Amino acid sequence: MGKLLIVDDEIDVREFAANFFRKRKLEVAIAGSGEEALEKIKQDKPDVVLLDIRMGGINGIQTLEEIKKIDPGIQVIMVTGTKPEENEAYHKCLELGAANYVHKPLKLEELEQVVFNTLNKDKVA
Amino acid sequence: MPLKIFSFSSLTLFITCLILSILLIRFGKTRTHRAWLGFNLSVAIWGLGEFFVSKSYDSVSALKAWQFAHAGGIFIAPTFFYFVYCLCELKYKRIIFLIFLQGSFFVILSILNPGQIFLSQTYILLDSIHYLKSKGILYPLSLFLWISIVFWGLIEFVIFYKRAASVKKNQLLYLMIGVIIGFAGGITYFFPMFGLRIMPLGNFTIPLYCLIATYAILRYRILDIKIAITRTGLFIAVYTLVLGFPFAIAVYTKNLLLGIFGTDWWMIPLILMAILATAGPSLYIFLQRRAENRLLREQKRYQDTLKHAAIGMTRIRSLIKLLTMITHIVTKTVRISFAAIYLHDRQTNEYALQVFRGKNQAPLAALSLDSTLAKWLTDKREPLIYEEVKRQMQDSGDNAFKALEANMRLLNASVIIPILLDHTLTGFVVLGDKLSGQIYTPDDLSVFQVLASQAALAIENAQFYEEAKEMQAQIGQAEKMATIGTMADGLSHQINNRFYALSLISGDSIDTIKMTDTTGCSPEVKAMINQIYSALERIQANVMQGGEVVKGILKYTRKGDEGLEPLTIDQVLDGTIDMVQFKIKLSEIDIIRNYPQEIPKIKANLVQMQEVFFNFIDNAYDAIVERRTTLKEEGYRGSITITATPKDNVMQIIVQDNGMGVKSEDIKKIFTPFFTTKASSRKGTGLGLYVIRSIILETHKGTINFHSEYRVGTRFIIEIPLSGQV
Repeated sequence: MGKLLIVDDEIDVREFAANFFRKRKLEVAIAGSGEEALEKIKQDKPDVVLLDIRMGGINGIQTLEEIKKIDPGIQVIMVTGTKPEENEAYHKCLELGAANYVHKPLKLEELEQVVFNTLNKDKVA
Repeated sequence: MPLKIFSFSSLTLFITCLILSILLIRFGKTRTHRAWLGFNLSVAIWGLGEFFVSKSYDSVSALKAWQFAHAGGIFIAPTFFYFVYCLCELKYKRIIFLIFLQGSFFVILSILNPGQIFLSQTYILLDSIHYLKSKGILYPLSLFLWISIVFWGLIEFVIFYKRAASVKKNQLLYLMIGVIIGFAGGITYFFPMFGLRIMPLGNFTIPLYCLIATYAILRYRILDIKIAITRTGLFIAVYTLVLGFPFAIAVYTKNLLLGIFGTDWWMIPLILMAILATAGPSLYIFLQRRAENRLLREQKRYQDTLKHAAIGMTRIRSLIKLLTMITHIVTKTVRISFAAIYLHDRQTNEYALQVFRGKNQAPLAALSLDSTLAKWLTDKREPLIYEEVKRQMQDSGDNAFKALEANMRLLNASVIIPILLDHTLTGFVVLGDKLSGQIYTPDDLSVFQVLASQAALAIENAQFYEEAKEMQAQIGQAEKMATIGTMADGLSHQINNRFYALSLISGDSIDTIKMTDTTGCSPEVKAMINQIYSALERIQANVMQGGEVVKGILKYTRKGDEGLEPLTIDQVLDGTIDMVQFKIKLSEIDIIRNYPQEIPKIKANLVQMQEVFFNFIDNAYDAIVERRTTLKEEGYRGSITITATPKDNVMQIIVQDNGMGVKSEDIKKIFTPFFTTKASSRKGTGLGLYVIRSIILETHKGTINFHSEYRVGTRFIIEIPLSGQV
């Protein structure tokens, strides 16, 4: 049980990931951009956000900052296509309070694990 | 009257043969020329002797004249034979000696004439000439020998003529005709000696022979007679006319003029002389110009053509086109039978044939740098003429000339012109005989030399241009690679997005199938679902693999400017193998890591080190494949062994392969930029080792060394400073 917001500018990613998590009884909302994501969050706060870093419009890191401003309790998982260690983005995200950092492509099982771990962490906390 | 004719004609004979001899003395260079000189002198002496005979007043003085004549006349046979021997390159050295021996014997006999056993008596021929009568046995014997020798010489001459190349045939034809005419007339000297009372015709045919011979000399440039002769000849001719004609008038028509003009008769010849003398110079100049134009016409023609060619040459950028053009022009304008150009080939280090024109089969393919010819041309920097080289060889017997002659013969060369640039012999041009049979004059050679030096520049230009084009292509290629590198980030992101989408789509679908209860489905539907499920799993696997490839590319294309850090060799090799597996088939070879797990770290840049090892492994792989396909050894398995040993404060890393190895002549060059021995289908850019060396030496402050043995393998030895960390 939980609310998940999937933010990615790829439609395939949004739809299939959403479908996957809905099968696991999560309430899934989707957004195609950073701005759209912030809109949705203002209307209905999710527990976990899967946030793509590189998007058109405002990018993932800025979105992260904005989300934390709205509600620091929201867990944000950053998704990136580049190698984590070599990016100062990694450190920035941690600074801003990202819950986790994964890079694509990754197996659906891994994604599932990360999301549920984050959710439960939330619950415990 | 017969006496007067005889007298006049023998004098003419003497003078013409003398002139011919003088020409030979002045301009003759070869042994053949000298032999011919001897012959002509002998004939001249005979002619002079005959003249003395005609002027003798009694039989005693006549006999003396005959002795004198025979001193030269007997030698006519041996000198003629020797001349034929030289001209036709016969092999009768010992016979020559014998022939001259008998000749000398009879000459001495005729000069001394002890007891007049040889030349014994004269009689009156044709009412006026004290002609020799043959008596006893010695004289006929000498005559018999004389005739035999001459006959033999003529036969050899004809045989040689038949065998000669068409080019030489022209030169020889006139000579042969002249000689035959001379001897045909000369034979008639002997008839009166045996009682046949006819006028000896030799006095007329021999000057004819001299005329024909001189014509042959001028026409075929058998001697290098310059324009000076023509001028002198013209001068003599004109002034003989100007002065001689009035003189002859004065002498021969004095009585007639006396009758007409009385005591003032001398005015007529004088006026005539004045007129002619005024006209003389103009006539001379006119004739001289006409003659020289004719002489030089041929030369001027091709000198102009060659000059134009020289100017146009430097504009040609393609080397082969340039060389073909040169041979084409040279053979066409100068009308040569054959021309070829040889250039220095840097890879094989010899002078290799580039183009040729005119021969049906290909001439000699290459000439070694060490050959006498190449060294000579580099040294003397002047053209070589085959005839002269041959003469030098015959005269001096020097081994150098022997070798030169052999070299030139192999090349079929009449003339070889060096192409020189600064102090190096870029190459040389081989020319065959002129189609006309004429010799190459010094003017010809100087024109060729100019052409050759222009050619040297043009060749350098063309070579440079071609190299520059190749370099451009390689740099272009390298830049492209670099651009792809800089695009890698954006590219990989895009590609990764696709993979991510794919993995989600297929992953989710797999998940859905797993979650669905299919027990109620028909067997066909179950089968279909299973098939779809497998397919989706395969898609997943491919997607994951794709992701790995992208990761590998990213690792490789990162700009490696981030400085040095402590690295393990495994880190370097793992990354390298990650990348190199997409270029080479790792399953075909063994990569052996020959070092312990706990080994000190090196201070290096990961990306650049991976570039280094990528290059080593890639090159080793190519060498292995080359060996496998070339040598085809049973049970051959390619292997690359990486050994690492710490030494003091560096790590010594050896990458050894058992591939084809590098040829010893290439070893020096492998670190030079753009050097590659790879066949064009898998062309290396040749930048690899040059860049590697720079990475090791400059960025890492290490060392790099290299050993290779052809058909054994190659070993790279590098030393990288240790990081100080464990």
